[in-house]
Formats: sequence, structure tokens, C-alpha cells
Amino acid sequence: MKFLVCIKQVPDVSGNVNSGRMVLNAYDASAVEAALVLTEGTDSEIHLVLIGPDSAKETIRKALAMGASSAVHFVSAESDSMDSGSIAAQLASYCAEIQFDIVLCGKQSQDTDAGLTGGMLAAHLKLPYATNAVGLAYQDSYDGIVVTRQGDSGQEILQLPLPCLVTCSNDMNNPRIPSLKGIMQAKKKSIDARQFENNSLSSTRILNYEQPAAREPARMLEGETEEKVTALVLALVQESGIF
Amino acid sequence: MGKILVHVGSQGGEAKRSSLEVLSHVSRKIAGSDDVVVACVFDVNPGRLEQTIGEYGADDILMYMDPAYESHLNGVLAAGLEDAIRATAPSLVVFASSESVKDILGAIAVNTGAAVLPDVVSFSAGSGFVEAVRPVMAAKSLARVRAEGELIFVSVRSGSVEAIKNPKNPGTTTFEAPIKPADLKQQLKEIIKAADETVDLSEARVVVAAGRGVKDEVGKRLVEELAGLFGGGIGASRAVVETDLFPATAQIGQTGKVVSPDLYFALGISGAIQHVAGMSNSRMIVAINKDADAPIFEYADYGIVGDLYTVVPLLIEEIKRHK
Repeated sequence: MKFLVCIKQVPDVSGNVNSGRMVLNAYDASAVEAALVLTEGTDSEIHLVLIGPDSAKETIRKALAMGASSAVHFVSAESDSMDSGSIAAQLASYCAEIQFDIVLCGKQSQDTDAGLTGGMLAAHLKLPYATNAVGLAYQDSYDGIVVTRQGDSGQEILQLPLPCLVTCSNDMNNPRIPSLKGIMQAKKKSIDARQFENNSLSSTRILNYEQPAAREPARMLEGETEEKVTALVLALVQESGIF
Repeated sequence: MGKILVHVGSQGGEAKRSSLEVLSHVSRKIAGSDDVVVACVFDVNPGRLEQTIGEYGADDILMYMDPAYESHLNGVLAAGLEDAIRATAPSLVVFASSESVKDILGAIAVNTGAAVLPDVVSFSAGSGFVEAVRPVMAAKSLARVRAEGELIFVSVRSGSVEAIKNPKNPGTTTFEAPIKPADLKQQLKEIIKAADETVDLSEARVVVAAGRGVKDEVGKRLVEELAGLFGGGIGASRAVVETDLFPATAQIGQTGKVVSPDLYFALGISGAIQHVAGMSNSRMIVAINKDADAPIFEYADYGIVGDLYTVVPLLIEEIKRHK
């Protein structure tokens, strides 16, 4: 069984996004973890692909230290200006030259939250796919893979034949923290770094960033608990439009 | 711009509120121009769909009525939408950003050659382009984005635009599903719904959300009772979902559902940025938390510092007096 896991380096959005700290996209980390769990104790292979600047190599090392086998790095200083469509097209052309059984992606990247690349890649490759997976498992009586995805109303359980593509939610698992041994081993694993020309034109682009309008601070209700509650319900009746 | 296609999400013959917001918005925006709004809807039975979609401003309706649409399956919905796009030849297709739409948006963009702007909070369209604003970096920042092309897709976050009636008398055409579940390689085996998942969270006008401050069944019952007063949905932060007190389907945040009700109660929720990203679009936010320094108070309209086990029972009694 061969897994291809698509990963991305993104700003750490949990802290100050201007700190410049770059991390492995949390959803992609869950995809790597899912592949590790499914391949534990087998001779299956987990191959990584990343499109990004030279400095994104440290993110590849992190995923290799978690336990992935090998990686290809499409080195581009301009990957930030590529939209989901051009990233998916580049990934698709790479997929056409390799063998795989299951492609895993994060369901979205935590910087843009667009969530398009996985579905786009599946369409390019004409693969059956599932997005927003919260569970992934083999089933004895079935050759493919069983995906549990979070839908609009409840969790949908799907059987997908191989080859297929699945995008992962971070609700699926808690990605492991690389061990010291893993980090040492990762240094010996091969990263196939390739310069590439981005030939596909992006049909969308970011014009600028704006700060969201600051909300007025909350009106903190004071007094005894009964007084706070009375004041709150009065405000709800007058302002919420629900009563 | 010619024709604008609006996808109307529905279940059991009822259109989703988030889709009516989008339909109404597009219909009111093009008033006075030669542009035409075509709605497409995919369901098993028409129910009240034709009437509702007309009330919210469609000029034409494509009704895909087929048992194939009983449950969501990406290949089935995608093929239906691609069929509607071929039949309409629109310059713009607008969706409400639901889980079902997120599941197919990228794939149909590739299959139809569309440029796509997902999960926007506002947009304006011109000839051959759309400009939009979308939250990025866990909603800490807003990106102004532009798409260019002959066919552009936009999906809109629920609660971003208003559903105001704009009645028209649309013509209706009915179709069968071009692709059925049996035509696909993948198969839907089962749908698991949580027992208490009677209200669709992303559609609810009132949401009561529990955080780590809700520690046990007693606290859970308070959440349920408060939600019950309004027929509201029950949400939860990731922290409390991990305690198994609430199902994963209730999770609100960057990871879980994005909600934008008229009224949002955050009970014992600290307000981690990942949670806030899923609820900051709510019209009115009320936070109740023991910790006066909890970040949730920075996003709330009204705040009460106190133990939710003391405050919420009083709140329930006081609301009952006004209903």
C-alpha cells in the first residue's frame, strides 16, 4: 500500500500570525498521522509532497520525523501567489508520474481556509474522494477504505475503492510529536528537491488584507446574579429580535 | 452579466435559510438590470420548495427531483450541478457555504473550468470578474480577493447577507438526476445522527454553546433546557467535545461548523481563536464565564462573570417569564 500525503507549510495561526513562525498545517499533520496509523506494522510506504519555498524543508523534516518514508519538494519562492487551482494542477501532474493507492490531504490549510485543493486534485485525477474525514479505517470484507466524514446532518460512512483521495479533519486524531529517534532518522531520509516553473495561471488572487472591524467590548453586566440576569434578559428582549 | 445560477440547499422539501439568504441577496442586487436569477435545487420531493424559492426572488427554477438526492453523495450532487451549469450557461454561480457545498466546490470548478472564491462574507460582480472579502488566518484577518473568468463560483458564509422576501413568479423545469448513487465507485453505507441532533446547528436562529465550564450531565441539561426555550441548536467547543459530553457533530469552530445565528450563548467557553472563527459572525453574542479575563468577552455583546451553574437556571426562569 502506498500513501501520498500532500502537505503545506503555513503561518502559526494559534498565536500572533505576524510572528513569522511557520508550521506544518494542522490538518495535514492529521493526514500524516492517519497514514502512520494505517501503515503501522506493515511494509506500506508514506510519500510526502510539498510545494513551497526552500525554507519549507523544515516542515518536510517534521513530517518525516513523525514517520513518513520519503518526500518530494517542489521548490518555489512564489508558491504564495499560486491559488488552489494552480497548486492542484501542479500536484496532479506529479501524481500522474508516480504510483499510489491513497492520496491524503488536509481538508483545508489553516491560513487561507479555502478547502478547495483536495477536491480539485481528485477531479483532475478522476478519483473517488471524500472530504472532511473524521475517521479512516480498513474493513476485513472490503478491498478499499472506509471513511467517516462530517456532513451537514450527521456523520456519513462511505466505502471508497482504491485508488482514492481523502481530505482529513484534525478531529480525526492527535498528531504525534516526533521522537528524538524519529528526528535523527529523518535526517537520513531523502527529500527530492525540484525547482519548477509554475505554468498554470491563477484565476484568483489576493488584492490586500484588512483588519476586521473591532467589535465594541462586551457590556459587562454588574450587580447580584439576579440583577445581571434581569438586565441581560431585558437586553435580549429589546435587541435580539428573537422574542 | 446575463444569467446567475444560485444553488439552493434543501432537506425534505425545505430550503435552507443560508441558501435563501444568498438567493435573496443576488435577486435584490440585480433588480433593475437585465440579469436573470436561476435557482437549482436537488431533493427527493418538491415539498414547498417552488413556492419558497419564488418568494425569495428566483426568475427560473431547475428542480432536480430524484430519490438519488435522499442523502448527500459528492459525485451525485456534483453531476447534478454540472448539468444545471451546462443547461443555464451562467457567468456566476452562487452557493451557501455548507458542508455539502464544500464537499463538491473544488471538483466542479475543475470539471467546468470555473474560477472559485470560497466562503466569502461579501462580494460584488462585474463583467468577467468578482471581488469578494473572505476571513483568513482563523478570521484574524480579512482578505480582499478577485477572480477573473467566464465562469466564476462564489460560496457565501451563512449569516453574511439577509434573507428578505422579493417575490416573483418563476417558471419551473423538472429534471431527473443525471448520475445516481449506483453509478459511482464509492458507496454511502450509513449516516449516524446524534440522538439530540434534532436542530440543524448551522441553520438555527439561536445557538447555545457549551465550553469546558460545562462539566457534567447537570450542566449539559442546562444547555439543553436553554436551547429548548428557543427551539435552538446546541453547540460545543472542541475542549468539551473531547470530554465526550457532547457529540463531535456539535463542534463549532475553525474545525467544526461555522454558525451565524441571531443569538449565540457561549456558556463556560474561554474563547480560543479556533472557536471564535466559527461563531464571530453571529448577530448577538452573550458570554457567561467564571473567568473575567476569558477572551470570549472580547467578542461578546453582553457578558456575565459568574458560575454558569448558578446563572443559567436563573436565566432560564427569567426568559420563561418573557415568553
